[in-house]
Amino acid sequence: MRGLRRRAQMAHIHLEDGAFTIFWVAVWTLAAMALLALPLLKLGGKNIPTRKLAIASMCVAVGFAIFQVEIPVFGGIHINLTPFIGILVGPSLGSLTVLVINVFSAAVGHGGWGMIGANTIVNLVEVFLGYYIYRAMRTRVKTGRFTAGFGAAFFALAVSAFIVVGIVTASEIQDSTQTRDETFRNMLILAAANLVAAVMEGVVTGYIVSYIGKVRPDLLDDVEGRGKDETTLRAEEGTPHV
Amino acid sequence: MLHRMNAWTKMALLGIVVVFVIVLMDLYLIALLFAATVAFYSLGRLPLRLLVGWYSMPVLFVVTISILFMFTEPGEELASIELLGRRVAVTDNGVLLLVKLLLRALAVVTFSLAVFMTTKYSHIAQIASRTLPQSLANVFLLSYRFTFETTDEMSDVIDAIHARNGNLVRGASRQTKLFAGIFALAFVHAFERAERIAKAMEARGFNGTFPMAEKLPRPGVGGYAVVSLTALALAAVTYSRYVEDLFGWW
Repeated sequence: MRGLRRRAQMAHIHLEDGAFTIFWVAVWTLAAMALLALPLLKLGGKNIPTRKLAIASMCVAVGFAIFQVEIPVFGGIHINLTPFIGILVGPSLGSLTVLVINVFSAAVGHGGWGMIGANTIVNLVEVFLGYYIYRAMRTRVKTGRFTAGFGAAFFALAVSAFIVVGIVTASEIQDSTQTRDETFRNMLILAAANLVAAVMEGVVTGYIVSYIGKVRPDLLDDVEGRGKDETTLRAEEGTPHV
Repeated sequence: MLHRMNAWTKMALLGIVVVFVIVLMDLYLIALLFAATVAFYSLGRLPLRLLVGWYSMPVLFVVTISILFMFTEPGEELASIELLGRRVAVTDNGVLLLVKLLLRALAVVTFSLAVFMTTKYSHIAQIASRTLPQSLANVFLLSYRFTFETTDEMSDVIDAIHARNGNLVRGASRQTKLFAGIFALAFVHAFERAERIAKAMEARGFNGTFPMAEKLPRPGVGGYAVVSLTALALAAVTYSRYVEDLFGWW
């Protein structure tokens, strides 16, 4: 794949295989499965409407492609756009999307196979917070799209940075003799660095949402609380397959 | 040889390698595992230069997580500097931790890339549809078809921007806006493509499962033997770590 460059900053960290013991790998995998069960059921379990299936798949393809691109500012930023995926497709479909993105990413070393559970938990938080913060800012606080996009992405990534701190502190790094307190202090410095990257991803998300608001505002109908008439909804849902 | 190896065998070995890097603690054994995965990759006559390029991501992630441990891990000091009036020292155990984490991550990445670069789409599709929940398998299979196409499309747009002197655009705000526009357009195209695909799928009577054109055969005797032997080695290493040390002589 072309366009692959050296990364300088990331909005969040993906954990690689071998960092945790088998016990913690199992714990985070089970926790992720439990968290994913709800959105999967909400989407209809085995009978996900064809249109939603296609949207999730195409978002996976774009999300994975964006992982490979570096924005050449401040020495280079690598972004994930998971809060934006939440804003665009909603928390249920977004959860499915980030899970599959994590599976693809594991295939190329962007996070480990055993760490798909832990990485998905972090991404789920970003998707959920991205969606609900954006929705609240647009419908209740009545802010502009850029501000809502920036705020949603920044807060989602800020919270997820501390989730990473929590996961690593609870699991402890294999081979390290440090106590949980010491690991926590180390990871806090990392979280502070991630906050800077979160500001940048927030700005990018703000611009993207503003752009989409201009060219395809209908894609933001759901998250911005604009109702759809019954005919549109039926057309969008498609025919659920049996 | 690797291209002809049964896809089930390769996937089983990938799973075993993942558990190996979690269970192995000895630096030499981890290094041996890494060397074995590079040998496996080379067996497929895959380009090593490409592999080094793919290493940039896992290396960055591992270094980001473990860089502070290099300075704070208790151990013998290897080098130290004065920073803002405080003495910061790199310890031997800190460096060892970083090296182990790097080798573990790279071993899995090497093996994983070797598997995916030598396995046909139809075989991966068969495995995904049999091992993943149906809805998840459908998203996986549909997106797998378009992932490389989308990545190339995005690269083409970025190349086109560079060809039109877009790389001369200066200022963080303008650069960010430029790339935000590219990403936004990619998502808009994704939605439009999804709508077309959904209509086409429904028109062709999609019933929730993708038809598999090619059957994936079971592994041969050799495949079962390789998987059994590596699983046995994994069991020995696991027993040695959690029950009784079998490699004390090392």
